[in-house]
Amino acid sequence: MNAVTSSATVSREPAPEPAGPRNEPGPHRGGPARASRRRRARTGWLFASPALLTIGAVTVFPVLFSVLLSFADVRLEYGGFSFRSLTGDHYAAVLSSPEWRQALAFTFGFTVVTVVLELVLGTAAALVLDRLGAARGWVLAVLLLPWALINVVAAQLWGYLFNGTYGGLTWFFEQLLGHQPDILGQPASAMGAMVVVDVWKTTPFVAIVVLAGLMLIPDDVYEAAEIDGAGAWTTFWKVTLPQLRPIMAIAVLFRILQAFGIFDLPFVLTQGGPGTATQSLAILGYKTLFQNLEIGRGAAVATSTAVIVIGCCLLFLRLFKAQADEGGRG
Amino acid sequence: MSRRAPASGIRRYLNVVNLGGLAIVVLSTLPLYWMLASSFKGPGEISAAPPTLAPTSPTLGNYAEAFVRNGIGRYLLNSVLVASVSTAVVLGLSFFAGYALARTPLRGRGPLMTVLLMLSVFPPIALVVPLFLLERQVGLLNSYAGLIVPYVALNLPFAIWIMRNYLVGIPHELEEAATVDGAGPLRIVLTVIAPLARPGLFTAGIFTFTATWAEFLLALTFNSEDGHRTVPVGIALFTSQYTVPYGTLFAGAVAATLPIGVLVLIFRRSIVSGMTSGAVKG
Repeated sequence: MNAVTSSATVSREPAPEPAGPRNEPGPHRGGPARASRRRRARTGWLFASPALLTIGAVTVFPVLFSVLLSFADVRLEYGGFSFRSLTGDHYAAVLSSPEWRQALAFTFGFTVVTVVLELVLGTAAALVLDRLGAARGWVLAVLLLPWALINVVAAQLWGYLFNGTYGGLTWFFEQLLGHQPDILGQPASAMGAMVVVDVWKTTPFVAIVVLAGLMLIPDDVYEAAEIDGAGAWTTFWKVTLPQLRPIMAIAVLFRILQAFGIFDLPFVLTQGGPGTATQSLAILGYKTLFQNLEIGRGAAVATSTAVIVIGCCLLFLRLFKAQADEGGRG
Repeated sequence: MSRRAPASGIRRYLNVVNLGGLAIVVLSTLPLYWMLASSFKGPGEISAAPPTLAPTSPTLGNYAEAFVRNGIGRYLLNSVLVASVSTAVVLGLSFFAGYALARTPLRGRGPLMTVLLMLSVFPPIALVVPLFLLERQVGLLNSYAGLIVPYVALNLPFAIWIMRNYLVGIPHELEEAATVDGAGPLRIVLTVIAPLARPGLFTAGIFTFTATWAEFLLALTFNSEDGHRTVPVGIALFTSQYTVPYGTLFAGAVAATLPIGVLVLIFRRSIVSGMTSGAVKG
């Protein structure tokens, strides 16, 4: 999903409301007013319930069901499925398998490398866009194209460019290196290729979010830095970057969640190969489920992936908050 | 840039910012150009080394092949249907839910918004297994509804976020005036709020549409049958059906990218505001 949202995730107030009285028409105390308030709350639930029930039935309930499946001995039967005993075997088997460890290591490394690269390049692009003037609107529009491209199309397109015999990039590197590289056939370069495609496709998102942050920084902050005699470099590190931190944190959080669940790109570009070099956790889960038809075990892979990524995000938020508090005091 | 006497001609435009801007444009569009150019190349030229920059004898053969022989038209139709219906349902539901969260005294709004936000980026692989089993049980696999139902649920949280953040900013006076006139809540929402909410609806709509248009994992696992495949699945499985017919594949890819590219360019302001929704307000 392509999403970034309010700083609410980072700040402590989850959903800032406009100050009290403005929110509610009429007085707040007394019998009739309270009745009206209750009536409005009922209207609210009535309006919200179709959406909330849908979300509950189609996402929250299945997730809980999946947790149950990961502890169960599930069999597929004609037109249905059946449960047997509860067991922790799936997790024991998954966590101890070299396949899972390799997929975890790959997914983790891929996430760290792409998120860092996208943050650095996205910030650089945002700084450029911020100073572009008249052309900004058009450059922004162009940036949205890779972002909006279907993942699968992007993967096929880059697969063609990396093709071992007639790919444009293969030819380019052949001129540089003097021999024809097998980019997708070697583990290291295949991983590199996947990073390149992800960075190409997702840096625009980071750039646009960071640009929004840049435009929020008041001019007088820069003026003060100029009066203090700070150069461009110092200004960036001491003034711009600290102001961008909250918005960068949101962008990073969303990127971590997306990168950790990566599926489309390896499925099309490398099929997880060569061997299992680029097999992400989602690909491993998919193969366990739909190629080996091991439902319980696949559910265990999927559930552990979700748990790990949520853990990473909570840890990141904690570190971010701790550091922000420290910075605030200094 | 230091304040020197303005250089003449081209030198005036040679600075870090303009070069950076140029680099952004070239890097973003070059691969896309490559795809477009390749879709017009003949079978020999597409696998030529060194590659040609532009098709030497442009042909529409790939497009004919993609539409007539490979049924990309069917996949496009399936995608348009699934994405449009999902988007319409998401907009209807998220509009009312967003209104409720923005304007009525619901208890637990705060935690609810946080949960919605977390759900909007939850790794989809965790949902595939249980949904697959449930859809298999009720016979929804290989049907339009089998994709529309999960797409609606998966895109609702973020759409509600956008709608709520948008509706919070609409002045209360209009609503109060309508209340005084004796209009009920449903009429107020439909006649007073809905017309004002259009920019928010555009933003939520374009995000839902692009997300459902590109969704791959669920479409691959739930609708594997050829007649119900969506565009991403069709394009991903091109390679395994034939011997990587890149020309045909790119013709299909261009056909799949054009509608979304046009939408994105038209609604670019809505997209940027959606990406930064709340980040700017908060």
